[in-house]
Formats: sequence, structure tokens, C-alpha cells
Amino acid sequence: MPEVDFTVEVCGMAGDGTIAAGGLINEAMSLGGFSVLGFDSYPAEIRGFGRCVTNSRIGSNEIVALGEHAHALISLNDEQSRSRAPFLSEHSLVFFDSNPPTYVQEEKSLLSVAPPGVIIFGIPFSDLAVSAAGSSRGRNLTALGGFAAVTGIEPDFFREVIKNKFKSKGDRVVDINLKSFDAGYEYAMGKFADRLLQLFPKSEDRAGHDKVVLSGNQAIGMAAIDAGLKLYFGYPITPATPIMEYLAKYLPEHGGRVVQMEDEISSIGAVIGSFYAGVRAMTATSGPGFALMTELITHGVMAEIPAVIIDAQRAGPSTGLPTKTEQSDLQAAVFGGPGDSARIVIAPTNVEECYYFTLKSFQLAEKYQTPVIVLTDFFLDNRVENRPLPKTTGEQVACWNIFPGESSKGRYQRYDDTPSGISPRSFPGMEGFNFTATGLEHTEKGTPDYSPENHSKMTEKRHRKIRSALNDLEKPVEFFPNDQLDVGVIGWGSTFGSVLEAVEKSRKNGFKVGALKITSIFPYHSEIIKAFMAKSKFVLIPELNYEGQLANLIAHLDLKPVERLNFVTGAPIPPSAIQNRVEELLEVRAQ
Amino acid sequence: MSVQRFVVIGNGPAANRAADSLREKAPESKITILSKDPFRSYRPHLLPDFIAGALKEEDLYFRPHAYYKERDIILRLGQSVVNIDFSKRNAILEHKELVPFDGLIVATGGKPRIPEQFRLFEELMLTLKTPTDAKLWIEKLASTEAVLIVGGDLTSLSLTKALLKLGKHVRFILNEDAFWPRPLNDEVYRAVTERLEQRGVEVIHCRRIKRMTRLQENLLEMETDSQTIEAGVLGAFFGLVPDVRFLVKTGLDIDHGVLVNEFLKTRFTDVYAAGDCAQVYHPGLRDYWVSIGYENAAALGRIAALNLLGSRLEVRVEPESILEVGGVKVNTSWWTEF
Amino acid sequence: MKIPARVLADQLKQIKDSGRFSPRSGALPTWCPGCGYFGIHQGLNECIASLGLPLHEIVTVSGIGCAGRYPFFTNNYGLHTVHGRTLPAATGVKLANPKLTVFAVGGDGDGLAIGGGHLPHIARRNIDVNYLLFDNSIYGLTKGQPSPTSPIGSKTKASPYGTTDRPLNATLMALTYGASFVARLFAGDPKGITEALLEGVRNPGFSIFHIHTSCVTFDKAFKTWTNLKKWTHPLPEDYDPTDIRRAFDEVLRDDFSLGVIYKREY
Repeated sequence: MPEVDFTVEVCGMAGDGTIAAGGLINEAMSLGGFSVLGFDSYPAEIRGFGRCVTNSRIGSNEIVALGEHAHALISLNDEQSRSRAPFLSEHSLVFFDSNPPTYVQEEKSLLSVAPPGVIIFGIPFSDLAVSAAGSSRGRNLTALGGFAAVTGIEPDFFREVIKNKFKSKGDRVVDINLKSFDAGYEYAMGKFADRLLQLFPKSEDRAGHDKVVLSGNQAIGMAAIDAGLKLYFGYPITPATPIMEYLAKYLPEHGGRVVQMEDEISSIGAVIGSFYAGVRAMTATSGPGFALMTELITHGVMAEIPAVIIDAQRAGPSTGLPTKTEQSDLQAAVFGGPGDSARIVIAPTNVEECYYFTLKSFQLAEKYQTPVIVLTDFFLDNRVENRPLPKTTGEQVACWNIFPGESSKGRYQRYDDTPSGISPRSFPGMEGFNFTATGLEHTEKGTPDYSPENHSKMTEKRHRKIRSALNDLEKPVEFFPNDQLDVGVIGWGSTFGSVLEAVEKSRKNGFKVGALKITSIFPYHSEIIKAFMAKSKFVLIPELNYEGQLANLIAHLDLKPVERLNFVTGAPIPPSAIQNRVEELLEVRAQ
Repeated sequence: MSVQRFVVIGNGPAANRAADSLREKAPESKITILSKDPFRSYRPHLLPDFIAGALKEEDLYFRPHAYYKERDIILRLGQSVVNIDFSKRNAILEHKELVPFDGLIVATGGKPRIPEQFRLFEELMLTLKTPTDAKLWIEKLASTEAVLIVGGDLTSLSLTKALLKLGKHVRFILNEDAFWPRPLNDEVYRAVTERLEQRGVEVIHCRRIKRMTRLQENLLEMETDSQTIEAGVLGAFFGLVPDVRFLVKTGLDIDHGVLVNEFLKTRFTDVYAAGDCAQVYHPGLRDYWVSIGYENAAALGRIAALNLLGSRLEVRVEPESILEVGGVKVNTSWWTEF
Repeated sequence: MKIPARVLADQLKQIKDSGRFSPRSGALPTWCPGCGYFGIHQGLNECIASLGLPLHEIVTVSGIGCAGRYPFFTNNYGLHTVHGRTLPAATGVKLANPKLTVFAVGGDGDGLAIGGGHLPHIARRNIDVNYLLFDNSIYGLTKGQPSPTSPIGSKTKASPYGTTDRPLNATLMALTYGASFVARLFAGDPKGITEALLEGVRNPGFSIFHIHTSCVTFDKAFKTWTNLKKWTHPLPEDYDPTDIRRAFDEVLRDDFSLGVIYKREY
């Protein structure tokens, strides 16, 4: 059976049902047993004159990165879709409305910029939708029908996901949408009978019914609920808002509450207040909001109060590019804020890790009594992947609070200087362990104390505690392990998928390349990273930032300079760019 | 002055030569080729070899997309022009797009000619003009051994060779329209029959075809005035006629092709026609003529382009190029009769 | 929570006798001698003692400023946060464990300047936090700069030619923001503070206690003890704290009438 690796884009204006169509493709292909990675991009100006684009990469093997070229483009608005023309491959399939309501000028037409080799499928989306369902609103579904017919996707996959999507709106809405889909399907089956393709072979063992299509943000929201989250405090900010919206919908039925606060400062303040009182709480934000939180994050460090903060990075600095992706908050997450304020920073690399790392963040925060920052980014938050429904064990959601023993009652020291640096923690309601948590430097008992001896001792204690956390943090994972590597590529966050795909392809080209995935950003496992760097003739760190923020953090672990590959395009790094750099390094060396 | 926009309709030899000439002489202009066919320029005379399996499909095409990109010629394939608005100077595409032009060259070429008496049976007959037609031949031939060819133009003769190579049983009805545009005189008729029969083709003599029916998916029946013939595939070969039906409502003068003067200009300023679709006035003949053949079409394409850019080149009827069929000479350069 | 008077009296006696439940911690307050905060401390301690609540179910949340140190001088749980963030932290504590009695304490700089954005929102959310706003109209801990409640023309080291900005009226703001319980008090009247607190703590929503107090070290001109004693006085005899219009009238007319200005009827 041929391997499927197919990328389809849907492009339209806000309001065209673009995102919905892309979502249905993801769901239908997941149901068909394929691996799916989807990513939407939309404008900051909602409902203005915004362009929406969805990109779905569909594969018979696991898909880890976004498709660089579209094999098919479904245009719901030709003027907007012109921007996608450069991403079409030579023989892409182009689906467009062949009977728009008015004549279109050449400079607004999609076909006038499409490469000559594309295969054109003109389908009167609106006309068909109107005659099938009485309204042109279903033209996005008509387009999907045409796409399914031409590419040979089992139409029942689409019909089932259409039913699921619209069932909450009643039978009539389901019916209208099914009719619109079928109209496009039947039209294309007839009109293009001589050029129907079979791009998606059916296979029994690919039943995808156990898989769910989840975005990074949904996975984070689900994990928070599964972790027993009781309070979410947040302030709207792209791209973190969907987490708040997800929780606002589902947290109440699990006995929790979402409070939309007046700003990000109050959000983290309330999270710290909740954890101080012994209850799991969380906030999610993006760079600008994270910057506002830094003072209270360091308060959590100093007063040793847990907190869970999702920093969904976007392109910056300042307001930056709110709807574009970047990995440029690493330094802010690790170092941001006054003083020596070491905290835990972890970064998932895919949707599944978004789930499990969020679960883990609560335990880490509780045990190490410090803010834990989960670094995601726009691409990871908004991309969808189909995965088996995440399941948690009791162990994964167990409370990791360490309480003082009864025997210490009366002589309880909240900031007891233990070998691990972890001091048993009490909270209000526990009799006999009253204390005052403070952002002032304090003694083991919690009394403010500015003496040089005390500040030295307690600073060291807090850092020792953070180092102890390495015991519970995910170790770096080496892919394609080898004793010697010509190029060792280190990746983190959403970029790692591109690293993995690039390394895999370079290996197929005969290069001795390996990949190291780092998910524990701070503290990090320096010995493992050091060993990987030492055995690689070149160390390459691709990142979606200009400064090379991970490279800056770990470059000192090896004597040779680290090769950097930095992209600030607002879009994920294409695997080919990494692959080219890898192969370029080796070719230069060969000369 | 703003950039001049030239539109060429068609993607055959006339169209391509016209586009190349425009680019050569007007380097700053915007040039767009609009072609209803979804495939690249191809060599029609290679189609029989392709059917015979002697060539890959890729070998039919001769200009990569990069050729156009390098010359900044916008190639738009599979997009039909359905009308032309000469007042606003827009070519109107089937998908309701308006492509504005300052100068236009119509070079849509020809399409298979089906004589009046066969129009009723048109859908039962295969023609051979494009790679798409060739693929249909390949598909049909896969499940049949018997081929019946009616007509008998040059293409039919090379196809027959290909069919024989494939081991098919070929029968040939040399119809009175055969060898159009030349009338089929007895001399030619006898010579061709002899040559065909030498190669193992059964030549059927008949005056009139009365009826054609499809008996099964792969079985057709034809009744002539003298006999009933069964065949798996029926090919019709009566030459080409200008492919200009879509221009009828535009206001252009259309007879069989687009009527142009000896400078290839139509009745509209800066609108020219060239190649197999043009019906060219000949002041000497005091009649219109239509060219035949690849080189002729290309030459006309070049003249149209240069005249559009301000030259005043008169078209001359090329000397008859001669095809020998069984020792008989046939003119293949141009024709005036329909 | 309503405790019958007889039970209350009984508990009060028990607490006072045992000494174990003393809300006052062993640490000596760091405030200057003569500081108005001692009076507030006394008033709040009396309230806590009178409520008879176990100290481990009480949390005092503070920010930064002279009032920020308050939690260290109590025996209950304390959360000393950063400047201006008293109310968000208190919101988190209270929502996390509604059984806790939460007091938020802070000065006029902490609550009306840097943290001024939080007051409207805790009020509109009506979180059951009891907020004691220590209003001495000056920044004391940083050694005497003008605060949002300093009168126009206040001369300090940071405003040697006198301030030009109009002062805020915390009581009026609280009413405007829709606080469900608003009291105006005076640090020189600990008994009045205790009484108002006992009533306010029972309000199941956000209660604000705007307390005029004196900075004896850096303010020699405005809120001196002499002035405050002269200016403050009880609310009119016929005052009805459930009437919001009356409350606005009173606060617009008089900056120093003391007592429960407004309480929402549920």
C-alpha cells in the first residue's frame, strides 16, 4: 500500500466556514484511520477582512510536522486564496467556486496566479448548496463533498463527522449540511468522472474510532480538569484564550470555577492565593501577560508557593504578532523577574505532551512548592493532532503535597532547610502549623530576616530544591541513538516535530544525524545534554526565535560553538530548512 | 504608459509562437496564454506512437512550465474562454473571470471535423486530436481487437500503423470525405486501398452509412448500404476544422474560422487570429483559406504577434507541401473548400 | 454565620481566659510609636477574639507598605504578597477554601495606587473578603511621598512645591464599585473598628473598611491625630445604611463621618 502524506489547505474569509471545513477534514481523516496534524491561521482582526487558512497534513504514518506544500487547496474565497498560490506544489489540486455571484477581475482571481501545472476542479459551490439546502451557507460543505469525491475519500467518514458536529443544533441543521456535502460529492463524481483519484486507500486496520482530534489548548484544558483543577484565573489573550473558554465550559461540571480576572497580575495573584490555601489552580497567558506576571511568579519562588502557568508564546516583543507563532519567551520564562528566582519550566513538543505535561505540572508545583511554567506556543496551542483519548492513572493525578508531620506541631518551621531543599508545607485550615508566607527574605521559620548569613543560606536552599526537581522531570530523549553523530540536532517545543522529520529524512539520505528532544527547560539535565553534544561533530539548535534562546541556555555545556538556525517568520520552521542546514554543515565539512 | 497586456487564446504552435514573438519584441509587456486544455503543449503527430506504447505520455509534451516562467509568460491551462467583450476588452472565462487585454491573438487551433452525415453518431466515434483522446483510445483498445476507421485523413493513416503494431484487426471505410480537404479521386482511392491492403487492413467499400448502434459496452454495429459491420472501437477521421464556436457571439466575423485580412487582423483593433482557427483572406484568390500543419500555424502566430506590435506583414500562401500516399501527391498546406 | 449572643459571650470568655487563642503574635510590630496602625491592630484583634474562630481558619493577606507587615503580628495564617496585589491573592485564598475567614489589609498606596485596578473587580465579584484600607494619605515605608489620598498642595520630599492632583475618596469609590458592605472608621477608635468589623465579617460578600489613620513620622500637616480627632464624628442619628442614595449623599457631603456607611440587604 502506498504511503499517504497529503496536505490540504482550506482558505477563505472570516465567516466562510473555513475553519469549520478544515476541522471536518481533520475529523473525517482521523475517522478514516489516518494520522492527522492540522493547523489554522487566522487574522488578529476577527470579522474584519480577515483571511482564514487551515492546513491539514494527512498520513498513513505518524505526522510530526506541518506540511510545507499543499497538495490540494480548497478555496472558499479566491481573492484570499491567492496568497496560498506559492505553497501549491506542481500538480496540486485546486477546488474553487466556478460560478461566483459576480464576475471576478483578473487581479482578484485565484487561477490567474495558480501555477500552470495545478489540476483545476471548478465546482459551483454556492449554486449547489442553494439548490440542495436552500442557502449558500453550506458551500464549505459542498466544497468538501467535491474534495472527497475527487480524492477518493469514503464519503461516510465526512457524513459521520458532519452529523457529530451539527447534532447539537438539531436534525434540520444536520440534514442541511449533509445535503450540501452530498451535492458537492455527486456533482464532482459526475463532472470529473474521467479524473477521479484514489489518494486515500481504505484499510481495515486503520480504524480510527479510538482516536480524538485535539488541539494543544484542548489537551491542556482536559489535563487541568483531569488533574482536579478547582480554580482557573485568567485574562483573555491570544493564543491562550481557548484554554479559558474550554475550562469555562467544562470545569463547572467537575466542581471547579473559572474566574475571568481584571488582568494577568490578578490572575497569577489569585492562583498563588489558591495554592497557598491548598487548592490546585492555574492560569494561562501569552508573552505580554506573562511579563505582567513575573513579579508574582518570583513571589511564588520566594514564598515557596506553587503555581501553574501556561505561557502560550506568540511572536513578540510587546504586542508583537498576536496570531503568529514564536519560541521567544524562553528567557523570560526561565529568568524573567527580579532576583535569583529559579523556577521550573517545561515545554511539551506535541499535543499529547501538552496533556501529560500539564498533568505533571500540578504535581511538580506541589512537591517543589514553586511556580511551574508550561511553555507552549501558538502553533502547538492551535494545531490539532489525532491521538488515542488520553487516560490518566491515579498516580498521575495524585497530590504531591508534602505535609509536616504531627510531631512537628508547635515547633513547625515552614521553610525548614532539608537536604532536598523541600520543606513540608502546611496551609490554612491545618491546626498548629500557622505561618506567614512572605516575599521578603525570611528565616526557616518564616520571619523576615535580612542578615547576610540567612539570605545566603535560604537562596542556596531554594536553588537546591529546584535542582532536586530534576529527579521528577522528564529526561531528554535521544532519537536514532548512536555512539557518534555527524550532526546532533537539539529541538524543543513545537519545533521538535520539524527536527524529527528533518533528521529522519537526512538519515535516509545517508547522513549520520541524531536528534535530542529537551522538554525540561529549567532545570535541565546537563549531563545528558553534554554527552549528546560531545559525541556530535556539529550541534545544531533550530529555534523559532532570533536570539537562539535555548542555545544561549545550554551552549556552554560544550566547548565547540553551537550551530544555530533561527526563524522569526511567525510560522513553524519547515523541516526542509533544518534538513538543508544539516546537509549543508556536512557538505562544508567535506570540502 | 502602463504595461501592455497581451492575451493569447490557445496553446498550440500558433499560440506559442505568438507568445514567444510578443515577449521577444515587447519585453516589458504582460503576456497571458489562456488554454482550455489542461495539458501542456504537445506534438499531435506523436499521438499514434503514444497509443502504440512507443512513447511515454511525458514525451508528448515539449515545453516545461519552467519555459514560460523564465520568459515571464503566464500560462493558464484548463481555463476556457467563453466570450470576449470587445468594448471593455476583456476575455471572459468560464468561471466568470474577466481577463483584460490591450491586444489579443486568437489561436485556438482546430478540432476534429465530423461531417454532417455523421453528426448523429458523434458520440459513438473516437477522434484523435489531444492526449486526452489518445488516452481514451488506449483505454478502449485494452478490451477490444477489432477497430473500424471511417474517413481517412493523415492522422488515420499513422494511427492505423500504430494499431497494426499492437496486433489489432483494422478495417477501413474510405469514405468520400476521406483525405479532406482534398477530394477523394479515384486515383488516390485506388492507391491508398492498395497500400492499406498490403499491410493487412481490410478496406471496405461503401457509399453510405445508414446506421450505427452500440450493442454492448465494447461492441458497436454499423450498417452500410452493402453490409453490417461489428467493431469494438470506431474511429472518425475527417481532418480538422477551426475551433471557434465559442466566438460566435463575440461580434467577430466568423465563417468556418475567424475571418481575418491578409495581415491576420480581425475587424477589431489589436485583435488578431492565427493558425488553424483563422480563415485568412487572400487578395489574389479573392477568397479565404485556412492553413494546415504545425509549421504553417507557427509562422502565422509569429506574423500575428508582429502585426499586433505594429508591423505590417502580409501572409503569403505557403507552397504546397506534399504528402505522398502510395505514390499519389496530396496538398497538406492549406485549403479553401469546406 | 450568625452566632447567638450567649454563645458568643461564652466563647469570648474562654478565649480571653486561655490566652492560647490570642490573635496577637509574639513579634513586636515594626510600626513607629504612636502609629495609628496599633489602633487598627487592636480593633481587628478584638474582632477575631470575639468571633471565636479558630486561628488556623483565619488568613490575613497583605501587600507592601507599613500595613504589609501586618500578618507577622498575628497568630493566624498570613500571606504577605507583593505591592498592590493583596486583593487578587485574597480572592484566590477565599475561593480556594470558602471556610476560611479572610482579612485583607493594606495602605492607601497599595490599595488605591498600584493596586487600584483590583478594587472595582473584587467589589463587583462580591468575594467574601474583609478589606481593611489603612488610609494615612502618605507613603510611610518609603519615607514620606504623596499618596492618592493626599490633599492638593501636599508638600513632601517628592513634592516640594506641593501636589496638584485631586485626592481619591476611598469610601465613595467603594460605593461606586458596588461593594456590598462599606464602613468608614478611625484608627483612634479601636472599639468602633471592632464593632464595624464584627458586622462586616458577617456580610457574605466583599466588605471594605476605610480607616482614617495617622502617620506620625512623615505627616505633620494633614492627618495628624489632632486633626483627625477634630474632624471625625459619628454618622447622623437617623442614618440608614441600607439606603444607597443616602450613603452617596453622606459621603459626598462629609469626609469624616464614621460608622457603617452602606450594607446591602440580601
